[in-house]
Amino acid sequence: MATQYGVENIVKSFGGAKALSGVSLSIKPGEIHCLAGENGSGKSTLIKVMSGVHSPDAGVIYLGEKTFESLNPRQAVQEGVQVIFQDFSLLPNLTVAENIALPAFISAKNKMFNKNEAKRIADEAIELIGVDLDPNALVAEISIASKQLVAIARALNAGVKMLFMDEATTALTRKEIKKLFTVVEGLKQRGVATVFVSHKIDEVQEICNTITVLRNGKVAAEGLMKDFNRQTISSAMTGQNISESRLLIEAPKANKKALEVSKLTSLGAFKDINFDIKPGEILGITGLLGSGRSELAEAIFGMHPVDVGSISVNGNRLKLNSAKASLKAGIGYVPSDRLTQGLFLEQSILRNMTAVGIENFQNRIGLLSVSNIRNSAKKWINDLRIKTQNSENPVTSLSGGNQQRVVLAKWLAVNPHIMILNGPTVGVDVGSKREILEIIRDRASEGMSFLIVSDDIPELIQICHRVGVIKNGMLEKFFEENQLDEISIYKELA
Amino acid sequence: MNDLLTKFSHRILSDRKLTQLLVIAVITFSSFSLLSKDIFFSGSNFTSMAYQIPEIAILSMAVMLSMLTGGIDLSIVAISNAAALVAAYIMTHHEYAKGENVYLWILFSCLIGIVVGLLCGLVNSVLISILEVTPILATLATLTLFNGIAIGATGGKANSGLPEEFLRLGNGTFLGIPTPFIIMLIVAGILGIFVNRSGIGLKIFLIGTNRKAAQYSVMGDRKVIAITYLVSALLSSIAGLVIASRTSAASPDFGSSYILLAIVIVVLGGVNPNGGFGTITGVVVATAVLQFVSSGFNALRFSQFFYLISQGAVLILVMVLNVLVDRGLSARSKSKAIGN
Amino acid sequence: MNKSFLKKLFGRYEVLLLAAIIVFSLIIGIKSPAFFSLANLFDIFRSSVVQLIFALGVLIVIVSGGIDVSFPVLGIFAGYATVVLMKKQNFGADNIWIPILIAIAIGVLLGAINAMAIAGFGIPTLIATLGTAGIFRGFMLSYIGSSFISDIPIALDKFATSDLLKVQVENQPLARLHILIIPVTLLVIAISLMLNRTMFGRSIYALGGGVEPTRRLGMGVRRIQTKIYLLVGGLSGLAGILYVSLQRKANPYDLAGSELDVIAAVVLGGASIMGGYGTVTGTVLGVILINLIKGNLILLGVSGSWQRAAVGLLLLIGVTGQAISEVRKRKRARMTAALEEANL
Repeated sequence: MATQYGVENIVKSFGGAKALSGVSLSIKPGEIHCLAGENGSGKSTLIKVMSGVHSPDAGVIYLGEKTFESLNPRQAVQEGVQVIFQDFSLLPNLTVAENIALPAFISAKNKMFNKNEAKRIADEAIELIGVDLDPNALVAEISIASKQLVAIARALNAGVKMLFMDEATTALTRKEIKKLFTVVEGLKQRGVATVFVSHKIDEVQEICNTITVLRNGKVAAEGLMKDFNRQTISSAMTGQNISESRLLIEAPKANKKALEVSKLTSLGAFKDINFDIKPGEILGITGLLGSGRSELAEAIFGMHPVDVGSISVNGNRLKLNSAKASLKAGIGYVPSDRLTQGLFLEQSILRNMTAVGIENFQNRIGLLSVSNIRNSAKKWINDLRIKTQNSENPVTSLSGGNQQRVVLAKWLAVNPHIMILNGPTVGVDVGSKREILEIIRDRASEGMSFLIVSDDIPELIQICHRVGVIKNGMLEKFFEENQLDEISIYKELA
Repeated sequence: MNDLLTKFSHRILSDRKLTQLLVIAVITFSSFSLLSKDIFFSGSNFTSMAYQIPEIAILSMAVMLSMLTGGIDLSIVAISNAAALVAAYIMTHHEYAKGENVYLWILFSCLIGIVVGLLCGLVNSVLISILEVTPILATLATLTLFNGIAIGATGGKANSGLPEEFLRLGNGTFLGIPTPFIIMLIVAGILGIFVNRSGIGLKIFLIGTNRKAAQYSVMGDRKVIAITYLVSALLSSIAGLVIASRTSAASPDFGSSYILLAIVIVVLGGVNPNGGFGTITGVVVATAVLQFVSSGFNALRFSQFFYLISQGAVLILVMVLNVLVDRGLSARSKSKAIGN
Repeated sequence: MNKSFLKKLFGRYEVLLLAAIIVFSLIIGIKSPAFFSLANLFDIFRSSVVQLIFALGVLIVIVSGGIDVSFPVLGIFAGYATVVLMKKQNFGADNIWIPILIAIAIGVLLGAINAMAIAGFGIPTLIATLGTAGIFRGFMLSYIGSSFISDIPIALDKFATSDLLKVQVENQPLARLHILIIPVTLLVIAISLMLNRTMFGRSIYALGGGVEPTRRLGMGVRRIQTKIYLLVGGLSGLAGILYVSLQRKANPYDLAGSELDVIAAVVLGGASIMGGYGTVTGTVLGVILINLIKGNLILLGVSGSWQRAAVGLLLLIGVTGQAISEVRKRKRARMTAALEEANL
């Protein structure tokens, strides 16, 4: 058998639940592979099996000429397996050179640390990947893209033969992704087998040669990348042909403006943004990562600094850069990262749902009415069909889709005029996704306006009256209701 | 009534840490009562415990409050001494005219003491919520500063000779119950309503759980944190006045070991050091447990320092227990999460 | 000399501290020329040497992302227990090395208990050391002794007055430089080298930078923590016995309660309480600055009872300054990012 990296018939269970049931995967040196799958499909368990964190219940791991029944982390590193995690796992308080060279010192079992030697090692690795990095800079002070390059240089220096990149493109701008791809092409020339692990395939599609799709701990599809398209990958990932029929209601006719944004500019994020939303209208805004779409959403809510421009709600000029003023004017915001920005994970569903509208449950001297809070929670659990036994349970007990509904409920409870949703269905299963979109549609029919910022174009087409495309911080092209189709929006994006 | 009782006991039992603590309290209390039937289990011992518990319990509640927001207030003792010193100064530097209402003047002195305490708290609030200084650093600095100012202003000397009427507050009884204990109950009751029933109280828990999510929920996190340190200063000032009246002196150096003791109590009481969780009942019970241990060893004629050992040992044991139980729980929940 | 070099130089916190020390010295010296005497200089060293050794231990713990409040108790435990042991067994009274080695050994032993609580059970450092501090102190006072010992072993007693050199300048008091200046200087250099030039030292910084990344690097987190608390135990034991020697008496009630003061000096020296940052130079300067002010306030015409307030004020300025510069740095980062974008 030729040199290959991969696994055969891996089984791994945790306390009776099978995370991987008979997964096989094989990658040749110099191949760039895409490992796709939704959250919970078994991707991260597979990485952990191959990097020695978990030992499998059955199956073999083969690395080059050797085969293993299980690995420990040290063996995995010795055999050239490296994982670049989403957070890069770097030490911010140490220099670039130290971050790159420390593994070399550790594996050589050195007792002493030599700064110059570290710098030499780092320089070498940096030169290998052909980028420009200051080895003396502290990692805390370099950009996210540079941090990723440091992580790659570190992996290369540790003698990487098989490199996993976990959601590598998530935090990068288009330009930075291009640079990353050049570096990865370089690794390919050196015979490194690279695996992009992702639940968003669009961004890595162009560079990958082969693909494996995982679903429920099994391989759902595999083959050459060129034989797949977005639709086939996504149906392999979800296991169903998602109904993407439009959920739309008739566009509002009234000529009133619920939200009016004009000449809005934030240095380094977006510039000269103009648009408006009618009462009951659902406007979608899409753009690539780093296009400024997320910053725009936060800026309207007052959480991202605005330098120039104006925002009006129902004709009244809004005080900029103040989330408090935005809330008062009737703007609600569901942030992009549910876990860190949206929820108080260990607290009860009840408390989470109350978080924005606490004042509404207070009496004159600031005391809360517990029965009102309970009734309100009951109502929202009912209305949004949140699956839970008890509103006193912590939010952690809920699935992703139900968690997202808790965030929605928190905001709907204060009945805003305008809801801004940033990636409303990220990490939500298919069934839940449709229900969330239906909730949005129903509110819109009652007159609530929506601004949905998302990179999920089919979703936007499903639900929006209009979709704007933001590119390099500029929002110029709008697709009206009758022009909404996937291909032309993708064309506009690229 | 019965229904209310079951509801209450259900709530307490659903809090694992509190149950654990109550069990420890019952065990310590009953074993000392058995071992020392005539000294520990005696009215005079209960009375003396009831005089000793309140001041440290109130200081611990102050620490708990800041810890709920994910911060910490090391300056509590410095603030309590400052409040006591100012009140004592006003009380003792006043010529009492004949027929003058002494109580009114004492009340006035105490109010000024509390105001000074609140001003100290305001310094903490400004540092932490406006200038964004890490709470442990800000209060480490203000602890040194307030304590230093107190030493400088008094020359390090205690202020004694407080009026008899004031001393009744710390040494008297009301309906047979020691007054400090009643003060503690009132403070705990009001604080309980503030923490568990007010909007700001709810915000304190939420901010302590996830500050970022609190910002995205626009609940005015800075304002809430500023208020927290003010309330903490208020509680410290009250404790300071109780201490001054019980010991009949105010001193800049009193109770420096109380800071660490208060942290021990708060952690023992089940407050999460990272914020977001904790109960006042837990803190009061934890104070009582440590007092049982201290009085118990005293009654058994153990070396008085044996108490220090057991205080540390109880803390470490409870933490080890928590770590072990958490490890067990997380192993179980992990397998459950994958099951979904 | 180019501009960025100057900026870098003055951007360094240690330089700022040094400047503060110089400015204070000048102010005090102008007000009271008696300040500029060798005797005074040597006294500052003598009065800060114990705190300095404790501070080195605290620095190591803080850099690793922890907080230790047990070290003063641990130190006096080691110092007092050593004296009690030597007197009871009646040995080695005329040898200075014996008490020092015993104290260090006791310190390491107690450090092992800290290590067990922290590395073994994963208890947060502040809480673990709060607990062990109580246990150590209670154990010492209950089982080792609670009375003051004034006739400490002869060698220890003599060591208090062992001077490296004595200088008599005219019209000035006799200036004595304690012999400890040599070993302590060596110790400072050794700790600095250890932190910067050994893998153990770098792993301490790594741990302070992040526990998870350190673990993923294949550095054993528990092993690093164990080594840290053993080392800090040894350092504290050393500081404890030197304290006993310099005081020429062993009082088991001493030192307890000084933990926050030492932590304050280390924080003033620029170490980040969140872990990952801190230098030996900064710590030395922080300790010197605090002791300079404490010891010489009286020369400024301020009553000695205000020294704690002065230290508090200094600390307040220090931590507020650090916080403000942090906020500024974040704002500046956005502007530079914006400018970079504009230039592209």
